[in-house]
Amino acid sequence: MDWVWRLLLFLWAASIVFPIVWIVLQSLRTNAEFFQNIWELPSQLQWGNYTKAWTSYNVGKSLLNTLYYVGVSLVLGTFLTALNAYALTRMQFRGRAFIWSLIMLSLFLPGINALIPQYILMKTLHLTNSLTGLIILDSFGENVFFLMLLGGFMASFPKDLEESGAIDGASLFQIFWKIIVPLSTPGIVTVAIFKFLGLYNNFLGPLIYLSDPAKHTIGVNMYHANMKMQFTSDWVTMFAGIIIVMIPSIIFYILFQKRIMAGATMGAMKG
Amino acid sequence: MNAGLNGQGTKARYRGLQKVSRQRYIFLFVALAPSLLGYLLFTLYPNVLSIYYSLLDWDGLTDAKFVGIDNFVHMFQDKFVWRALYHNLLLIVVVPVLIVLISLVLAYLLNNKTYRENSLYKVVYFFTNVLSTVVIALLWAFIYDGSFGLLNGILGIFGLDMNSFYWLGSSSTALWALVVPMVWGGVGLYVVIFINAISAIPKSLYEAAELEGARPMTMLFRITIPLLRSVIRVCVVFIVLGTIKGFELMLVMTNGGPEGSTDVIGLYMYNLAFGKDYHNYGYASAIGMLLFVILVAAKYIIDKYYPEEKVEF
Repeated sequence: MDWVWRLLLFLWAASIVFPIVWIVLQSLRTNAEFFQNIWELPSQLQWGNYTKAWTSYNVGKSLLNTLYYVGVSLVLGTFLTALNAYALTRMQFRGRAFIWSLIMLSLFLPGINALIPQYILMKTLHLTNSLTGLIILDSFGENVFFLMLLGGFMASFPKDLEESGAIDGASLFQIFWKIIVPLSTPGIVTVAIFKFLGLYNNFLGPLIYLSDPAKHTIGVNMYHANMKMQFTSDWVTMFAGIIIVMIPSIIFYILFQKRIMAGATMGAMKG
Repeated sequence: MNAGLNGQGTKARYRGLQKVSRQRYIFLFVALAPSLLGYLLFTLYPNVLSIYYSLLDWDGLTDAKFVGIDNFVHMFQDKFVWRALYHNLLLIVVVPVLIVLISLVLAYLLNNKTYRENSLYKVVYFFTNVLSTVVIALLWAFIYDGSFGLLNGILGIFGLDMNSFYWLGSSSTALWALVVPMVWGGVGLYVVIFINAISAIPKSLYEAAELEGARPMTMLFRITIPLLRSVIRVCVVFIVLGTIKGFELMLVMTNGGPEGSTDVIGLYMYNLAFGKDYHNYGYASAIGMLLFVILVAAKYIIDKYYPEEKVEF
């Protein structure tokens, strides 16, 4: 009986690894070879498919767009979240409870019904068809999950942390930047990891807001490339393109695997 | 003189305090305003506006016309809305059950068996959760292809010739074919969540059961699942709400076809607002409001019929 369970575990893992390995192998063959038999290994490694995917899908440009969009939103968004979490958890001021309740309201908003008014608003502000516009949309806002995560972290520091800083004559920003941020690094890194995943994998936002192909992010680019492939039947190049999109995710996952898993379960445990 | 000095000191301290409190206000403003204003402008305001938009007849080009509840009246007569909702209903019934059951079994096995490969499996299972929907969708589009797809290739090895059957091209199989990547892409996260929850259950419970001669699957259904009630509940809420509003996978893989057999309510709304041909912002917003109501209702129903129970062990 035991081997059944073991096989079950193996099969689920195989369902994930096998298709990816298959695509990697087929991406190194020619279309003719692939149409002939989908099971054979590459006879001669066709690295040219990757060069072709890079140039014909304009992958370089879309990767640069992605880098700009993800990079700026990540740095700006994480910085603002940390600043926000600090003010909302470690400072006392009038209206604090009100702001918290406003933010908590977002838990009841599914977001999907706001898609159209948001688009019209962005259009009125001339922020559509612009990567910077998308950065503004995705960096300025409140996220309960991130605030709770970072806020919980910051609330655990001793109360007199700011006082000792203030006695030394440090300004509030210096206290935040030189004392709070270094102490909160583990929490900030977790927030940044999840922001990265959300931004890199964001598809609907870039699809709705970026109409000019020169501004497409990598995900939207692949979506359009696949639409075109239905007419060209250039399978192996498409395979190569998919692998290129997956590489950043794979590298990121290898680097931060433990933190990603730990952070992902935190939400469910608290809820 | 003494008094004078004293007075000066108080004044200086007062000025100092004033400076500190001004600095405090500036800091608070800088720290709170960007996020809060962005939230008010890009989240709350559009949410409020969506109510108004749902009362308009507006294609985005000509002037908007206020039509009252006409959109809602039309919506209840629109057979495409009902068809899409029916597909959502099928998905809500199937997807959460499959995801929760599969992840529970996998998590249980990973936790209670001591195979060497277990720690590697955990990492592999979770991997699908860092992939974007586009990548998952394209991957599965390749798997389902008729002539060169992986699935028909594997079936061919087992002697089943599918005659180039295109899984996403037939209205009888397309929706069910989409269920697989939805489950496949989601399971890893819940495996990790359940592993953590299961490892919090005392080992002595299992040992006692084993002494009584309980089999592994009996222990899963009699010990593990009852004790994980509240964690499972959170996961069910999460998956159900995601299934109701999700449509990216359909958008990339089938765009609702063939013959609307994979159209879901979110996708219908998306195509009305952002699709290739005619845009109807007012009507699409009305459907958005319907979605809002359905989501709130779903949350309410789960809360009511799946009451939270505190278990102690």
